[in-house]
Amino acid sequence: MTQPDTVVNFDVALIERARRGDQKAFERLYREHVGRVNGLCLRMTRNPDLAADCVQDAFIKAWKALPKFEARASFSTWLHRIAVNTVLEKRRGSANNEVAVEDPTEYEEPTMVLDTPVEEEELEAAIASLPQGARDALVLCGVYGYEHSEAASMLGIAVGTCKAQLHRARGLLKERLERGVR
Amino acid sequence: MSKRVTRIDELARDIPPARDLWPGISAAIEAERAAAAPAQSRRRSFWMPAAGLAASVLLVAVGVFIGKATTQQRQQVTAGTDRPGVETGAEIAVVPAHYQRDAEYRKQRKELLQEVNARLQTMPPADRAKVSASLETLRKSIDEIEAALGHDPANALLQELLVSSCQEEMRALTAVRDSGREEI
Repeated sequence: MTQPDTVVNFDVALIERARRGDQKAFERLYREHVGRVNGLCLRMTRNPDLAADCVQDAFIKAWKALPKFEARASFSTWLHRIAVNTVLEKRRGSANNEVAVEDPTEYEEPTMVLDTPVEEEELEAAIASLPQGARDALVLCGVYGYEHSEAASMLGIAVGTCKAQLHRARGLLKERLERGVR
Repeated sequence: MSKRVTRIDELARDIPPARDLWPGISAAIEAERAAAAPAQSRRRSFWMPAAGLAASVLLVAVGVFIGKATTQQRQQVTAGTDRPGVETGAEIAVVPAHYQRDAEYRKQRKELLQEVNARLQTMPPADRAKVSASLETLRKSIDEIEAALGHDPANALLQELLVSSCQEEMRALTAVRDSGREEI
């Protein structure tokens, strides 16, 4: 797992309490993680209301699935996986799928360095303008730091497809930032 | 004014939602719990007597320990002052000293025991053994308290402990008797 700033130790006690049905403990977990889960859902959906629905559904699913959660795993990753699944389910419901691109043979480094510094807002707008598949891969690998294998597993696609989507995202992002997308 | 970034991973990962989503989540959890409650309570009913008995045994065991410790302490104090273990009238009057010998209590207990024995016969062997052992432990604790009271009849703490232990036993017996009714 590549997320460095997950407060795992603090979570362990809360998770144990929540697993035993302590709703207050689960609320604290919600307060701690909601920002990150919402950020992920918002970037994947580009719609604040839809993202909020996904976040809410994801936490409800997490509560129900807590007994199955293995304490050794990262709660944050587990929660993100549920959130990504929820977003994908909503998309399937709205029949807004896009065709996946071909698998590339080259390896893509998830971390992306920009040629010149850009405003956060400008970068967010450029990411939001990307096609769905490319955006998903960029958000999970580039913004949230997941490995290709983790992101591919969350998205239900092949690792090669994830790499291809990220490659595509990088190209499109560079092009759009140069063009000045707003 | 947003800051300038040079890497994608410099973007903020946390973006709080515009509104607090917890009330909706909490309501959904409550609804889910309410829906699951009838099934859970039915499952729990079978184990409730056993759990109650276990709690009772622990309570009595702790009580016996406290009672014995207090008795020993008092004996040491009275030996040191050369005074017999005389209690004041007020202390003795705190609890009914011969609760366990009360005719009505004995009659009720006897009837309850008959019903409990009948109920035990209908239980699976493993459960029957566990419940019988728990009831036996409770009864032994009561016997020990009675024996301690034999040496120190005016001990208010022991008297109180005896009353509460007898009450616990009655509650446990009632729970065992009613466990069959709850499952139906």
